[in-house]
Amino acid sequence: MVSVITIGAKAKAAAHALRCAVTLGALVPAFFPSAAVAQVLQRLHVRTFTLGADRYAARAGEELHFTVAVHVDERVARIDNLALPDLSGFEVDGDERRCAPGGRGGTDCTEVLLVTSSTSGQWSIGPATLDAIDARNGRPSRFGSNRITVRILGKPILESDSAHDVERIALQAIVVAASAAVPILAALWLLRATRRRAPVPVAVVPPPPLAPTAPAVDPLDELVHRLREHPSRERVNQVRNELRRRLRAREEETLEDLLKRDSVRRNPSLADALRAVEHAAFVEDDRIVAAVGRALPPLERLTSFDPIGAGR
Amino acid sequence: MTLTRETPPRPADLLDALRETVVGQTAVLEALVEVLIAGGHVVLEGPPGLAKTLACRALASAVGGNFKRVQFTPDLLPSDIVGTRIFDQRSGDFTTALGPIFANVVLADEINRAPAKVQSALLEAMQEGQVTIGPHTLPLPDPFVVTATMNPLDSEGTYALPLAQLDRFMVKILVDYPSKEEELLILQRYGGEQPAMPAGIVAIDDILRWRHEARAVYVEPRLADYAVALVAATRSGHDYLERGASPRATLALVALARARAFVDGRTFVVPDDIRACSAAVLRHRIALNYRALAERIDPEAIVAAIVGAVGTP
Repeated sequence: MVSVITIGAKAKAAAHALRCAVTLGALVPAFFPSAAVAQVLQRLHVRTFTLGADRYAARAGEELHFTVAVHVDERVARIDNLALPDLSGFEVDGDERRCAPGGRGGTDCTEVLLVTSSTSGQWSIGPATLDAIDARNGRPSRFGSNRITVRILGKPILESDSAHDVERIALQAIVVAASAAVPILAALWLLRATRRRAPVPVAVVPPPPLAPTAPAVDPLDELVHRLREHPSRERVNQVRNELRRRLRAREEETLEDLLKRDSVRRNPSLADALRAVEHAAFVEDDRIVAAVGRALPPLERLTSFDPIGAGR
Repeated sequence: MTLTRETPPRPADLLDALRETVVGQTAVLEALVEVLIAGGHVVLEGPPGLAKTLACRALASAVGGNFKRVQFTPDLLPSDIVGTRIFDQRSGDFTTALGPIFANVVLADEINRAPAKVQSALLEAMQEGQVTIGPHTLPLPDPFVVTATMNPLDSEGTYALPLAQLDRFMVKILVDYPSKEEELLILQRYGGEQPAMPAGIVAIDDILRWRHEARAVYVEPRLADYAVALVAATRSGHDYLERGASPRATLALVALARARAFVDGRTFVVPDDIRACSAAVLRHRIALNYRALAERIDPEAIVAAIVGAVGTP
């Protein structure tokens, strides 16, 4: 418990510093309004704008790489007005941004952040934003990337659906500690009380055992189980969508694109599952059951918890 | 290479036979087979000497059909394509002389060298599937495939095909130079000798049967939506396009995707089939505007950007 509070203080300082920087940045236009006007927006065809991570689950203290990637049709030396997502709860240990000509014309810009987190939990990060004039219609626009969810393991899981609040987690830790201490103190008080009164046997009530936390159910396992029970195109598509979601597949990526990824090529079970599920998703209606039958073995070979695409 | 007739031949057998004659040019050979099955016509664009004619001759030989090559020149006449009526002095009657278009595989070489009237005669025959010579209307053979070639390097003495006429070709394939390894193989295989033509690989009836089976390949509704979305993306106010593709492109895209799935041995189309066929179907059906021409935008980049921006099912 003490270590959580200590490390939390560091993260709190980092979050506080980040908030100060953001606040200062927001105040600049207020004190210098001409600065805001003079900040000319670039005119861009934004084709893709993604936020991703090299892993989506890690132990506390392990390094993660978050990548913000933008592809525009124009040849530019840099992308201005690109705002990184709120990284409260993470310490940023490195930041590298570069732009290079794209393979099909245009420019690819990426910013890679090296981050660590010492606090366990599930963090929803994003989106990154880009302010520019949309070249398709000439209007100033704010483009947003996707969000990602990252799990930090190694400490008692404290679920958090929204951006990390260090003070709230510290308070929760104190409440949990207090909850565990109360029955012990009550038992001690009872013991002292029995010593003052007549020796009436008093049953020492042991502290109630902590309720075992139910193991987290992997959504993919659940979907495969449902598919096995009732093979239908709808359930095949649910499994397919979950696999694509885990691989952070972009909308325009097809199976061939996913199969070319290093993480998929190194995982034959995953590649087999992707192919089989793809076929089952688009096969004729009267062949769905047979196609699902062929898809289930590779799906069941997939590990239930292993961030797919994490380079296994 | 000759196959026995114990088992029905498959499209893969035809492709293997073509690969024994033509080194490399995988995209060209696959397009020829897929378009043959889909019932369309193909434009091949590339510099001379890249086996465009050889591929077409090999295809005609492999299917046991007739092959006719027409060299398009500025002085060509429509009757040189479709045929004409000839007065026979002995009988005192007119007879019909059929033109080279009456073949299963017709190679229209350098189609952009002939004037518009000749191009129209060919393209009208492609559209109608029949030719009228004098009082007679004669059907063209089945299967009937026109492979037209265009040389992108020559600009003098050429008549650009209008978009409306290019639209009649199912696909346009860009033919590129072979790799170093392929060129060495060409030298080893054909240095001094004419390449051997495949014979008796498939019969005309096999082609017709494949066409029938390919038309029955299943297209899931989401894939039909995807095909429509791809073609519609060429029309939705693109910065570099004057005009986008017509619904004929959508029909061609789905038909070609079906053929591709059939060649792959599947009875259903997958998103990769649609996307793999999209560039070949769209590249000759879009018109670049002045801005694209002025900025020298590569048309391939435009098609790739459009295809890359449309979400897949």
